[in-house]
Amino acid sequence: MKIAEFMTTRIEYIDADKSVYDAVEILVDRRKRSVVVRNAPGKDDYGIVTARDVVFKVLAKGLNPKDVKLSEIASGPLICMSPDTEFDEIALIMEKNKIARVYVCEKGEILGLVSLLDLMSAELIMRARGENVS
Amino acid sequence: MFLEKLFSHGKKEREVIHDISRHIELLSAACKTFRHGLEKHDRNLMQEVATLERYGDAVRREVISHIYEGAFLPYLRTDLCGFVEIVDQVFEMLKDIATLFLRSPLPEKIERQCCMVALLNQRVSEMLLLTFKAMSNGEDIREKTLAVRIYEKKVDDIKYDLLESLQDVPVDNFWKGRMLADFVSGLTRISDIIEDATDALQIINVMTR
Amino acid sequence: MWTISSGLFLGWSLGANDSANVFGTGVATGIVKYRTAIVLTSIFVMLGALLEGAKCIDTLTDLYRLIPLEAFICALAAALTMTGLTFLAVPASTSQAVVGAIIGAGVLSGSAHFSSLYKIVACWVFTPVSALVLGYLCHRGLGFIVEHTIRNITHRNLFNSLGILAAGCYGAYCLGSNNVANVTGMYVGAGLVSPLAAAFIGGASISLGVLTYSKKVMMTVGKGIVPLDPFSALTAVLAQAGTLHLFTQIGVPVSSSQAIVGAVVGVGLVADAQTISMRMLLRICIGWLATPTAAGFLAFVPLWIISFL
Repeated sequence: MKIAEFMTTRIEYIDADKSVYDAVEILVDRRKRSVVVRNAPGKDDYGIVTARDVVFKVLAKGLNPKDVKLSEIASGPLICMSPDTEFDEIALIMEKNKIARVYVCEKGEILGLVSLLDLMSAELIMRARGENVS
Repeated sequence: MFLEKLFSHGKKEREVIHDISRHIELLSAACKTFRHGLEKHDRNLMQEVATLERYGDAVRREVISHIYEGAFLPYLRTDLCGFVEIVDQVFEMLKDIATLFLRSPLPEKIERQCCMVALLNQRVSEMLLLTFKAMSNGEDIREKTLAVRIYEKKVDDIKYDLLESLQDVPVDNFWKGRMLADFVSGLTRISDIIEDATDALQIINVMTR
Repeated sequence: MWTISSGLFLGWSLGANDSANVFGTGVATGIVKYRTAIVLTSIFVMLGALLEGAKCIDTLTDLYRLIPLEAFICALAAALTMTGLTFLAVPASTSQAVVGAIIGAGVLSGSAHFSSLYKIVACWVFTPVSALVLGYLCHRGLGFIVEHTIRNITHRNLFNSLGILAAGCYGAYCLGSNNVANVTGMYVGAGLVSPLAAAFIGGASISLGVLTYSKKVMMTVGKGIVPLDPFSALTAVLAQAGTLHLFTQIGVPVSSSQAIVGAVVGVGLVADAQTISMRMLLRICIGWLATPTAAGFLAFVPLWIISFL
């Protein structure tokens, strides 16, 4: 099963010069686990901020999220995969790099993302179909 | 009746199972045709969906008449007919949205999401067929019903995004807007109805154990 | 031979009532057509009566040897008791009514063999108990086998359909073999007919009851008693039939109604279902006491009056 078939298409974006607090609002309001940070306007240069980053890099250190810019805590670059990649390959990549999501990209454009939950769901579907699952 | 049952070796029941499988196969074909029609903007394929719906209707009538001619024990008949009627609702919905598509083109802004939902609808209808075949063979259908729920949940996620995107789509008049809203609503409702069909299968499965 | 008429009446009412215990669930749930059920029941009741009916007839004749008039009064008393208790919705057993009536006649003459009575009463008590155990084991055992061998929905459906038919036929056979003694057994003791003739006449009267008057009871009892799914109905009838057959070998006529109640409870226990209420249980216990007492009284009083004439 190709990842394009079961990716999450709704991606939230935010500019790098915004504060961590702005990102937190998006995470809470839109019930997301990550936000893509646009490092440079108009360029295909992205980072990512997750709830984990907010907690460990800002809140746990007692810093004020309104005072910290996203460019200071964003991780990058995004790990991008082609839409024709099989889910089995993604599982290995995520396990090897200890990451919770990969992005589906084509010609520099982000089409969607595949999270651990998407991966789990896809594997269960393949099992139900009787397809060989690694 | 007694002698008929003794010597028929379940022929009527096998016919019903075969017909229901055919019904669901037609549904999968209709979902696939719809999806390709949507992706390629092919009006002919969209019109083909209505033809497949008519074939589906014919098969449904055959199934119900075979059931009430004496296939299966009476306690199962109502639920089997109920299942077939739910599948028919999906056909109806598909035909309606195919007609809406022919009347009103899809805005580019929501095209990709709609195609994604159409693909998921095709996949969930294929899963319904696998679930029915497994149930009639007496296999465990738990994994398959979970797969259907996963697909339905995925469509729900895309539905909320679609509704948000729709708010930014300009419409010329009320009726065009209404048709677009009905199209999106119908497209995202198909997986819900198929989930209901799977629940009906689960009930039949429990009753026969 | 006019004395046999009350026995025929008793047999007819037994057939009309007890056939529901055999095919009641099948007919009420539409699995078996009513016409098919009554035809099969009458055929297999006759077979059971002719092939094994004599076994229970001997037990009744051992209890007390009646004269023809006594036989007539006893059969009539039993029939009236059955009618009365059925009207009061107390589960009534023909076997208990007949034995009670015979004992009533025997008490009057002073020559009843009460030693035989203990064996009979013990069998009455054990009827629902053994049916319960058999029902539980049958449902569990057969369920396990079917679950692991017949998985396909079509095959499972065929198994249930044919199983219910087969169980019903076996139940009818056991009904005939066990209960024909109730109907015409006392006439053998009175020397009016041979055991084979008694089995034939008794079987025929039961079959007639089945063919002519069983529909109403079949529809109400069938819907009222039982488990809803075909497999449970199959195992309940099988257990009931097995119980009757067991007591036929012991030689004691027992109640098919109480056997089916016990079987249903046993089947229900497999699924931990509550298939019987305390109220129903109380009614059955009342039946155990009321039936032979009422029948005995109804036989004793007229015979006592006649003895003065």
